[in-house]
Amino acid sequence: MTDQINDQELNDRLRLIENMIAEGRRHTQNWGWAFVLWGIDYYAAIAWSAWGHSAWAWPVTIVVGVAITIAFASSRAAGHPVTTLGRAIGSIWIATGVSMFVLFFALGASGRLTDGHVFAAVASAMLGMANGASAILLRWKAQFACAIVWWAAAVATNFTSDTGSLAVFLAAIFLCQIVFGIYGTIAQGRKNNPRVPAHA
Amino acid sequence: MPELPELNPVVHGRLRLALLSLLSGVDQAEFTWLRAKTEATDGNLGAQLLKLEEAGYVLVEKKFVSRKPQTAYRITESGRQALAEYVRALKQLLSLGPPVGAESV
Repeated sequence: MTDQINDQELNDRLRLIENMIAEGRRHTQNWGWAFVLWGIDYYAAIAWSAWGHSAWAWPVTIVVGVAITIAFASSRAAGHPVTTLGRAIGSIWIATGVSMFVLFFALGASGRLTDGHVFAAVASAMLGMANGASAILLRWKAQFACAIVWWAAAVATNFTSDTGSLAVFLAAIFLCQIVFGIYGTIAQGRKNNPRVPAHA
Repeated sequence: MPELPELNPVVHGRLRLALLSLLSGVDQAEFTWLRAKTEATDGNLGAQLLKLEEAGYVLVEKKFVSRKPQTAYRITESGRQALAEYVRALKQLLSLGPPVGAESV
């Protein structure tokens, strides 16, 4: 069969291979909605604990957030390929979420979570770590900017008043969850759209 | 004159080559995603995937998710090897210059 093939066809086959491999590797699922969901979840927990003074505010809102995330993610997973990059990023967020839940639940249950500054600082640092790791894997500058905002918030919450610390935490949530989530949804939607026809 | 390498006819088909290349970049992919990326028809895509499956180059997994049937495909080790050998043969053909019989094209 080699006899009937010309250089143009061979080059065309090589280009097709390169394009298709890149297409598979660069495919990432759109998780912008999850950032927005968790931003709203954090706001709900903060509002509930501030005005309701309930120790259950954070555990309940986190469990509800996890349930919605799992249900929504399962429905959106259909039709998307499983990639090594996707599993790597997912592992960062799952591990961060479990660490935050275990730590803050234990601190709250033991009555040692009395300083709001420490809570905001630790939460901000952990979210900075997850965003930073994800940004490095994806080579995504916008997400790395979010990591910097979280790390800055982790420092700033320690050197401000109670109100100032809360304001810094709320602002970081708005920028890195709500605004970044909406931006991420738009950016990833554009990235996943191009198609390369490959009819037989 | 050096001997021309043979191109694997199973891999050489344009759609089959696209499918193997796509699957080599992911752990696992569904039929619907492969269809969207290749813009092939259901019938053609199913037939080419069957040929790859029969050659032992892809594995098929059929399951139900939320009561909906899902067919997922993954490339096998021999599929990966066949693709690598095909690329090697392509590059060798290109470096050897115009193949025999291509002068008239």
